[in-house]
Amino acid sequence: MSKRAPSSEDGVVRPLELSRGELYKAPTLEELSRLKEAESLFHCSLLKMQMEELLKEVALSERRKRLADSFVQRVTELLHAVPETPVTEVSDLSWLSVVRVPFLLVPNTTKGKFHMKPPASVSLVGSYPLGTCIKPHVSVDLMVTIPASVLHPMDAINQRYPRKRALYLAGLTEHLLTSPAVGKVQYSCLHGNRLRPILLVTPPGKDAGSLTLRIHPCPPPDFLKPSRFHPQKNNVRTDWFTGLEASQPGVKEPATPQYNCSVVGDHLPQAHLQYLTAFSEQCPAFKDGVALLKVWLRQRELDQGTGCFGGFLASMLLAHLLSTHKVNRSMTAYQLLRNSLHFLASTDLTENGITLARNPDSKAPSMADFHSMFPVVFVDHSGHLNLCAEMTAFTYKRIQHEALLSVKVWDDPTVDGFQALLMTPKPLIRTYDHVFQLCELGKLQLSCKKLGLMSELMDHSGNYVLAALPFILSLLQRGLGQRVQLLAHSLPLSPEWPVDQDPPKHMNQPPLSFGLLLQPEHATSVLERGPPADSPKAAEFRELWGPLSELRRFQDGGITEAVLWSATSTCQKRLVPQQIITHLLQLHASVPASSVRYVGGQLDSVINLGQELCSTGEEESLRVIQNYDDLSRKLWQLEDLPLSITSVQGAHPALRYTQVTLPKKKKKKNMEDKPCPVYICPIKVICHLEGSGKWPHDHLAIRHVKAAFHIRLGELLHAEHRYTCRPSATHLDVWKDGLVFRIELAYHREPLVLRELISPEGLQQQRDNAEARALELEIQHKPLLTSTLHGLQQQQPCFGTVCRLAKRWLAAQLFSADLSEEAADLLVASLFLQPAPFTSPCSPQVGFLRFLHLLSTFDWKNSPLVVNLNNQLSAAEYTEIKNNFVSTRQSLPVMFIATPTDRKLSMWTQESPSVQMLQRMVMVASESLRVLEAQLMDLKQLQDVRVVFRPPLDVYDVLIHLKIQQVPLVSYAVDRPKKFLRQGTNRGPVADPGGFLPVIDYNPVSKYLKELRVSRAYIALFFYDVYGGKVITVLWKPQAFEPQPFKVTDENVCTVPNVDAILQDFCILGEGLVQNVEPRTKTWTV
Amino acid sequence: MAASARKHASQSCVIPGGFSVLRLKFSADSAAHHQLFVKEHRVRSEKSAKRPLDRTLFVLNIPPYCSKDTVKSMFSKFGTIQSVELTEKPGTSEAAEPKLSECFAPSTKQSQGFSVGYIVFKNSSSVSAAKSHPHDEPLIASTEKRPVKMGINKWIQQYTEMLVPTEKLQKAVDSFMNEYDKRKEKEAEQQRKDEMEQQEDEEGWVKVTKGKRGTKVRPHSERANERTLQKEDKKRKRKELMNFYTWQHRNTQKEHIAELRKKFEEDKQRIALLRAQRKFKPY
Repeated sequence: MSKRAPSSEDGVVRPLELSRGELYKAPTLEELSRLKEAESLFHCSLLKMQMEELLKEVALSERRKRLADSFVQRVTELLHAVPETPVTEVSDLSWLSVVRVPFLLVPNTTKGKFHMKPPASVSLVGSYPLGTCIKPHVSVDLMVTIPASVLHPMDAINQRYPRKRALYLAGLTEHLLTSPAVGKVQYSCLHGNRLRPILLVTPPGKDAGSLTLRIHPCPPPDFLKPSRFHPQKNNVRTDWFTGLEASQPGVKEPATPQYNCSVVGDHLPQAHLQYLTAFSEQCPAFKDGVALLKVWLRQRELDQGTGCFGGFLASMLLAHLLSTHKVNRSMTAYQLLRNSLHFLASTDLTENGITLARNPDSKAPSMADFHSMFPVVFVDHSGHLNLCAEMTAFTYKRIQHEALLSVKVWDDPTVDGFQALLMTPKPLIRTYDHVFQLCELGKLQLSCKKLGLMSELMDHSGNYVLAALPFILSLLQRGLGQRVQLLAHSLPLSPEWPVDQDPPKHMNQPPLSFGLLLQPEHATSVLERGPPADSPKAAEFRELWGPLSELRRFQDGGITEAVLWSATSTCQKRLVPQQIITHLLQLHASVPASSVRYVGGQLDSVINLGQELCSTGEEESLRVIQNYDDLSRKLWQLEDLPLSITSVQGAHPALRYTQVTLPKKKKKKNMEDKPCPVYICPIKVICHLEGSGKWPHDHLAIRHVKAAFHIRLGELLHAEHRYTCRPSATHLDVWKDGLVFRIELAYHREPLVLRELISPEGLQQQRDNAEARALELEIQHKPLLTSTLHGLQQQQPCFGTVCRLAKRWLAAQLFSADLSEEAADLLVASLFLQPAPFTSPCSPQVGFLRFLHLLSTFDWKNSPLVVNLNNQLSAAEYTEIKNNFVSTRQSLPVMFIATPTDRKLSMWTQESPSVQMLQRMVMVASESLRVLEAQLMDLKQLQDVRVVFRPPLDVYDVLIHLKIQQVPLVSYAVDRPKKFLRQGTNRGPVADPGGFLPVIDYNPVSKYLKELRVSRAYIALFFYDVYGGKVITVLWKPQAFEPQPFKVTDENVCTVPNVDAILQDFCILGEGLVQNVEPRTKTWTV
Repeated sequence: MAASARKHASQSCVIPGGFSVLRLKFSADSAAHHQLFVKEHRVRSEKSAKRPLDRTLFVLNIPPYCSKDTVKSMFSKFGTIQSVELTEKPGTSEAAEPKLSECFAPSTKQSQGFSVGYIVFKNSSSVSAAKSHPHDEPLIASTEKRPVKMGINKWIQQYTEMLVPTEKLQKAVDSFMNEYDKRKEKEAEQQRKDEMEQQEDEEGWVKVTKGKRGTKVRPHSERANERTLQKEDKKRKRKELMNFYTWQHRNTQKEHIAELRKKFEEDKQRIALLRAQRKFKPY
């Protein structure tokens, strides 16, 4: 049964019309079972189909498999033909002509003999033969067994085996280079482990991008006894590594678990493949399950680099689950994924490791041995190898955190789990609230010395970055303590280098990034309170914080050690973690502050309000709201009004912490004076009056009654509190403590009265009209939204700041006329209410990045954005909204935002944006996101975040430059004028509530824009950055210059626009405001 | 807008439709100019006494900066003007709304686009004078004697006009409310009278009228109507038996399967669409 939708070419889902016959025919058994399965296993059949599509998308095509097979065939033949070379000393490299040895030969001296010989065997290992290899970056692993005669049983110690392995690889490379059958050849190393270099070979010609062959040299299986590599044994001698004679021969050599692990690991690929193949054959969905898990890991950047949780570990994990019967063989891929995530979320491998070994031999180390040497333990089936040897405890914590989050998301029926978990990438910068980078990694060499990590350095064969990393992490974790939920670090990527060059030095690695997931309650605290002075822990505390730790006496009487960080405003407090990190790294690891690049507050400057003090508006918002609370209390207490006030509600962005241009305290300024007076934004407050039979039943009369109430209210406020008030027909302006509140009285039945209509038969009818809708929006919906978002701010302290950034960006990119403030606030609110797959943002920066991401990637055409304010919507209501949306898509606005109180209309996006503007918004957002993320993460980029706040002007036809003296909000502009303009100065708080009213709500630019938009709407679009823009951009409408029929007559006469007059009108309308009009294109030549 | 018609260097310029073209400059030193299209007002159905057919000049394309006064002064050189009317679109003059005081007049009424004007002259000769005005001699809107305030000055003026003294506002409110009360009282009086008429007189007769307040059997508003319907519906629902007979049970199952099928098909469509848009590429 298939009936195509009438038209899905335009990319819009339409409701289906199925005939009765098709819907009600008798079901077949197969169909019944399919429907049943979809209903019970998945939330809906959609998820099942989505999974299938995803798997199809990542699976390797037959063509590529054929290509891989033939390429492997060719390379295998080549490898078997490697010529033999005479036996030389290992340190003698003269037999290599072109290529270099892929190994950092430190220290240089090695004993032993080496010669090239054709490999004992060449075979496929890893994901490709197992069938779990997925796109992109298809890599096929080829194991080359080094003949036993090349190696010596004593090669286990002092890096002799790894060096011989590297030499063998160099020999193979030299031979491969002679053949035209291979394309690009590069060295790399397995998961960043410099002891295990590998060779990357791509096919020649146009197939180069489609796959990479990775050649791993390996010893013959069972060549070296695994018991020699017990994690607590030493295989790298100190005297050899340091070049010094051991001073005390009696001292036990330190264990080298990492080294041991990497040598053992080389013996086992074949065995692992056999082990996994057995499971894959038992469980039909095994391959798909691994593929899904790999996609999940890849989206979280966990599948590559040192200590990663790669595809191999994923298959091993599934094997573990199958062997312990935690999953069933007949489960589907989706169930396997879900169960493995659940297992990861609930099992702590840092405490209770798992093992695949059923009956390990007597010499195998015990779990306790493993735990003593490795932070994360997952032992393979041989019982000798820890598969998670390189993983730090922090990486595992991160995996656990992600898994827990994902399981939660999947249990939530209101979230599209598929989209959130498998389709959304989670790069570090967009995932973590604050990010910092260690730039000059060479400095870590000193840290190793300072931290006393000689044996670790030896174990990591001189890789000081890896040796120091766990210690730095635990140091920071101690220092940050409760401030962070999670401390994560990027996995150092495996370097790749040309075969004719030496391997890159450790210090030349790209910077190491760390991410902090903040705990909003504690992260901004300026005080670090330690133990009491006399407790034994005090010494520890002093040791950690060094000279910053002081004895302090607190109000509760306790005298304790404490550290006080210097920060006054909220935006400075948010950066306390930065102070902690730089201090600790400097103190304990001798990493200078200059090589710590902290990314957390770079965007603050864009919305900075204070002149001297850095502030991102939290303090100003709070002051407005406190004043408002005071006013509302006073309004409640008024007694002499003829009707009592039933509610006082704010209806202004400043009263929900999201106003960009926060009212500053200002003195009044004379009107006729130049430049124009400071813009004072009236803060709108809606007061509902009680219903009464005395209210007239006529809208004009209601308006007059309200005016009378405004007058009366003004008199009362003046009499009781000495506020200067100015009543008008529509509102009452109250001048209070340097702020202007615009009180509007409302009568709840007024919209009803406006809608009322008496039909000719005398029947009373309700008919919707624009006036009633607008009034309802003002007196009912805006106050409700304001109070709801105010509530959200109380739970999420950086909501307001993210809104301010987002709106600043929208305005700067000239979109503020197209996306209403309320809609922008709702978009931001959705980031906080439904953060999946992330956690709710705790810093303005990450919130803003996610806002751009949401704007640019959301599928506005086919899905409604549901903002579940106050968690009022249930899953069933979500579905209802979605169904309703699909069935009436054509008549709904292009950008559809539903809230619990507005499920069918999307009232804030009714008028705008238009399709074209939304498209442009999406485009600009994705470009801004790209530029901004690159800037924040990459040192080499130009460091000026304001770039994304400067709109491209070259697409516009005419620019109208304004005189900046007449732009009242110029001090909020992205690029503020260097010279501070005389604009009515801020002379501190206004003490007495009386005095004259200032000029309120006088903005010549907005008046000018309004006139332009009204008089020229038919020919052009006008764009302006409402927060202090200096230029109005004009775009001719595409149809503007087509001749129009002359409307008044019937005759065939056409008119065309008179562009010169229009341009001159721009000047005339804005006399005194317009500097000049600059036409940039000549499209009007008619 | 400029007419695509050829310019005549000669006297007046007449374009198809019987319009003469007049040039208009904002001030004497402006470079560009607008074009006004004028014609005698000639509509068959015109009944309004405000626009006498012989003396009214119909003007198109008046720029937004020309107020009534500006138009009046510009055209007074063709003869004495009786009245000027500016509207957004040509058509009959609107019925006068209840007179509102200026503080209550909605601000949106002020048109800011190009407007259409009806200029009524004292003498009909002025109409033809205007029509034959030479094309190359532009009218000037803002002269030194009577400057048109634009831009900053205009907005400052608007702002000051917006500040209405409280007393004036109070007075406006009072006068409106008094009138309103009077009107209401009159209506109440009328209603009382109607009701009085419907009462029995001494002899027991009732006067039957055609008045709207006749039968009151049905509730008299749409909403009330709906409510009664809903109530009846609910009553009927309550009496019905669900899943009682076998066929009912069978039907429910059938419905369930149909529902699942429908959903399945819808999902299939959605997937096909997403696939077409390459939405399944994870990275």
